[in-house]
Formats: sequence, C-alpha cells, structure tokens
Amino acid sequence: MTRLSDGSVRFLVAPASILAALALFGIAAPDFLTPDNGFSIASQIWVLALLAVGQMFAIAVRGFDISVGAVAALSGTLGVMAANALGLPALLLALPVGLACGTVNGWLVGHARFQPIVATLGTLLAVKGLALLVTGDGQAVPLTAGDTAGLAFDAVLGLPPLGWIALGCIAAAHVVLRHLVVGRRILMLGSNPEAVGLVGGRPARIEMSAYQLCGAFAGLAGALMAARAGAGLPTEGAGMELQSIAAAVIGGTALAGGRAQVWAVLAGASFVQVVLTGLNLSGVSPFFAQIAVGAVIIASGLMDTGLRFLLSGLSNPFQPKGTFR
Amino acid sequence: MMSKRVPFAPSLPRLSRPPAAALVCLGLFLLCCLLVPRFATYGNLENVLRVGAILCIVACGQAIVIILGGIEFSFGASAALASVVTVMVLPAVGPVAGLVAGAASVIGIGLVNGWLVGRMVLPPVIVTLGTLMMASGAASWLVGGLPLDAPPSAVFSWPARGRVLGVPVPILAAVLACTVLHVLLAHGRIGRLWYHVGANPLAARLAGLDAARITLLGYATAGAFCAVGAIILTSRVASGQPALAPNLPFETIAACAIGGLPLAGGRGHVLQVVFGVLIVAMLNNAVVLINLPVAWQLVLLGLAVLAAVGLQRDWAVLKRLAGRSR
Repeated sequence: MTRLSDGSVRFLVAPASILAALALFGIAAPDFLTPDNGFSIASQIWVLALLAVGQMFAIAVRGFDISVGAVAALSGTLGVMAANALGLPALLLALPVGLACGTVNGWLVGHARFQPIVATLGTLLAVKGLALLVTGDGQAVPLTAGDTAGLAFDAVLGLPPLGWIALGCIAAAHVVLRHLVVGRRILMLGSNPEAVGLVGGRPARIEMSAYQLCGAFAGLAGALMAARAGAGLPTEGAGMELQSIAAAVIGGTALAGGRAQVWAVLAGASFVQVVLTGLNLSGVSPFFAQIAVGAVIIASGLMDTGLRFLLSGLSNPFQPKGTFR
Repeated sequence: MMSKRVPFAPSLPRLSRPPAAALVCLGLFLLCCLLVPRFATYGNLENVLRVGAILCIVACGQAIVIILGGIEFSFGASAALASVVTVMVLPAVGPVAGLVAGAASVIGIGLVNGWLVGRMVLPPVIVTLGTLMMASGAASWLVGGLPLDAPPSAVFSWPARGRVLGVPVPILAAVLACTVLHVLLAHGRIGRLWYHVGANPLAARLAGLDAARITLLGYATAGAFCAVGAIILTSRVASGQPALAPNLPFETIAACAIGGLPLAGGRGHVLQVVFGVLIVAMLNNAVVLINLPVAWQLVLLGLAVLAAVGLQRDWAVLKRLAGRSR
C-alpha cells in the first residue's frame, strides 16, 4: 500500500484502461477478442511503443519532443536508401540518423537552453522538409535490398521477429532508465533539477542524453516502420508524435517530470493500439478513430492533472512547477 | 473575484525602438529585390501581401495565446473544419450564414482549448494537439475525406477576391485585425490581464485575478482571429477542404517567434507579429520564385525559428553583460 500511496498508482492506469477497452470492444465487435486479432495487435504496437518509450525520456525531464514523427520518417527513409545501396543490414543506419536529430534537440534544449517546444518545433519543420527533399518531394522509396515482410509479419513464438527486437530495445530502455546512472539522473533531473547539480551531475548533459535517447528510439521506430511497409515513407509519421505523447502520458509518465516506468509506457502504447484496432473492427470510420485519439490525448492530460491533484493532496491544482518552461 | 483596478502591468506593450525583426524584414526585402527574379513586381508583392494577410490574421490570434504563455496547434485543423462546415451548410442557409457557422466552429474549439488550459490546468501543448487531432478527424469524417465544392456565388468569393477602394479585402482584414489586436493589448483591460497571466500565472492568481476566465477569453479571442482567417481561406479555395492548411499553426508560431515574441509569454507587441509574418511570407514566396522544391519552405522556417529564438535570447544576455561591465 505504501507503494501505491507514493504515487505508483499512476502506472496502473494504462493496464486498467486496456482491460476496460478490451471489455468494451469485446462487446461491440464480435471479432475483437480472438487469438488472431490479439496477434495482429501484438505485431502492430511496436512502432508506437518505440516512439512512446523515446518520448518518455523527454517527458521525464519535463520536456516534450514533438519532432519524433518527422525524425522517424526521415531516418526510416534514409535507412532504406542506405539499405538499397549497401545491403539490408544498413537499414539500421536509421538509428544513428535518429540519434543525430536527438542530439540536435538535446543540444538546443540542454546546452542552449531553448524551450523544448521551440527546439523540437524547429527540428520538426526542418526534418520534415529534409525528408521531402532527399526523396524528391515526398515519393516513397521502395526497399529493394531484400524482403522484410517475413521478419515483420510472420510469428515466431507469438511475435514477429521485428517485434521481438523492438521488445528487446524496450527492455534495454528499462535497464537504462532504472539501473544505469544516466537513467537515474534523468529521473532525478525531472523531479528536482537543483539536486542534480548538488550531487555533481551536469544537468545540461543529462537533459541532452534524454533527448538523444528519444531520437535514437525514433530512429529505431523509423527503421521498423520502413521494414513493415517495405518502403521508406518520407511523409509518414505525422500524428505519431501526438500518439506517442498520449501513450507515454497514459503510461503514467508525469508531465511534471521525474516519474516514469517503461513497462507502463508499453501498456500505454498497447492501449492506444487496442482503441484504434477496436474502433476499426467495430466498423467506425478511420476519421472518427482520429477524433477518438484526440480525445485520448486530452483524457491523458486530464488523468495526469487529476492524479497530481489527488496524490499530492493539494487544495489547489495550480502549481508553480510548470511543464512548459 | 476580479479586482476592479489593475495597478501594475509587468510590461506594457510599448516599444521604445522598432523591433529587431523590422530590420531583418527590411534586409530580407532588399535581398529578395536584388537576388530573386520577378520578386519586385507589383503583382508579386500584392500576392505576398495577400498570402501574408491570412497568415497575419491567424498570427494575431496565435500572439494572444503566446502572450498567455501557451501555444496553439489546432488552428490549421479548425480552419479546415470551418471550411467543411461552411460548405456543408451553405446550400441550406446561404453564404453569409454558412461562413458564420464555420467561424462559430473555430471559436467553439477556441473555447474548448481555453477551458481545458485555464480551468483544468492542462499543458497547452497536450490540449491543442488533442483538439487538432479531433478537429481534423471531424473535418474528414463530415465529408468522407474528400474535398467538397461550394456552389459558385459572388458573396461567397468576396472575402478572398473582393476589393474595397482597389485594396484586396484580405489585406484590409489583416490591417483591421492588427488594429483590433493592438487596441486589445495596449488599451484594453483584458489585454493587460493577458500580460499578467502570461508573465506569472501563479502571481496573477494570488493577486486575485480569475486566471482561468482570462485564459478562456484569450483562447476564444484567438479562435475569433483564426475564424476570420478561416473565412478568407474557405472563400479562396471555394470548397470544404478537410486538409486545408496543415502548416498554418507552424507558420503562425514561427511568425510570432521570428517577430520576437518570447514563447515564455507575458510580452509582445503587434508590430512584432506583423514583421514576423512579413518575413515568413517573403521567405515562402522567394523559395517558390527561385524554383526550389517547396519543402525548402519547411527547412528554412525551422532554421529561422531556431535562429530567431536563439539570437533574441543571447541578445538579451549580451546586453546585460554589457550593462554590467559599464
């Protein structure tokens, strides 16, 4: 109980929401609660899950990264181009591309002290433009180096191979956040920036590494997106930044910083995917599903404020600790 | 309870000297005149102003939100929703009522944003990205994802193509919008309260201001400015477009940032908005005239935002250092 009362209850919201959504769509759509559909959802969540885990690092230091969708699109496209030139393994070059974008964001936020929203808005626009420029105005780049459909869709032990790889990366994120110094310092910076300086940490560098992790995960998501589609899609990923923020926040990442759990974010991403798939199977228009995602984003924000309000026992939800620097 | 008098304004919108953006704007104008073919023709300059006018009207709304310390991403999607709503109700109620209905939907979204940011204390980014998603989904849903043509009508095309005394209506509307914004910010009570809340929401609340209501009014007024822009846009494309202006929020934020409005809120002058808008409009126009791919607009916009914000911040640091050493 002590663990719940110190605020860990926020991490149980996502699993509870998944159960509620499963029950709801199980009633609304007869095809929903079937093993096939379960496998379909399990093979689809990984792009969003990778983006959301990356976003979690940025939110944990009281920031945002609204460029993740564009970074994923650019790195996926460049990865495909590299793979076509050098062979399939070069698709993984998407990772350093994402890391580079994350480094730019991190330098701007951490060292140059830009507001996260300004810095990532600037890179969002620039990266979006670059993705269009490298492909000659937004043409999809087909992946000719090899067939990745098997890796992306055929189940091995219940998940497609790329799903296992993504799960491995997410497990690595858990180790980084919980057991490595950099992760502990990221959480510390989010909950008490002054304390980091007092124990000898360098806030600017830690903030930068949070955005670098975010960019690296966006790069991985881009590679996965390209492998699934069999092409680099320079215009894909618009709207993914919103879903990733929603997934991270539903997964209990505090917008005020300093609180995050990787498994809960994974649950948050699963929740968003369950809602999207459930609406699809209920025969709802995809445009209506977009409205639902918008509502989920706002609901996640309300949940965060509500939890902060309830758990801190404040009579006044106005706090000087802002999420928008 | 709101007190009747506001004894202290943190930074009244007075400019002792022209904003730095004015010089940049002038420099860019001269550069474009010299280097960009066909830039300095009457037809092209009128085109720049005509396109800039819509951006300017919406940027006036963005400026209010930024002064309040927020940020507004839902403008493009709500303009799209307005165009769809207008064209859908047009056959039944006529062009004027149709445009009013479209405008009302934008103001409605502004009210929702203001309520969520002000009363529910949600971060503006989350709220406006959420309503962006919802408005864009609603616009596509209403027309099934495809544009819907409006029946031709002189009244309907007047906001975009009409002229009053030889001046295009959008440009007149932009001048009017800037005047209204200036009066609100520099002379209106509500404008002063926006500066208070934007500069320090907690202090404003402790001073007895109803920050939630002031924020709500700010987002609604911003919605009204966007609604005017949406009317002109709808009239220009003469159809209900579910993907009308996806870059509108980015361009307006960029215009405000380039003009010199600090995105931390609490400060800003209408002239900064005007010069920021002119810079963005000229950049976009020059990219097209030089025959670069349109994607360069995005790249340049992103770099310009980062450069402008960085320079302004370091300019202040440099000035403070210079003041100390003296």
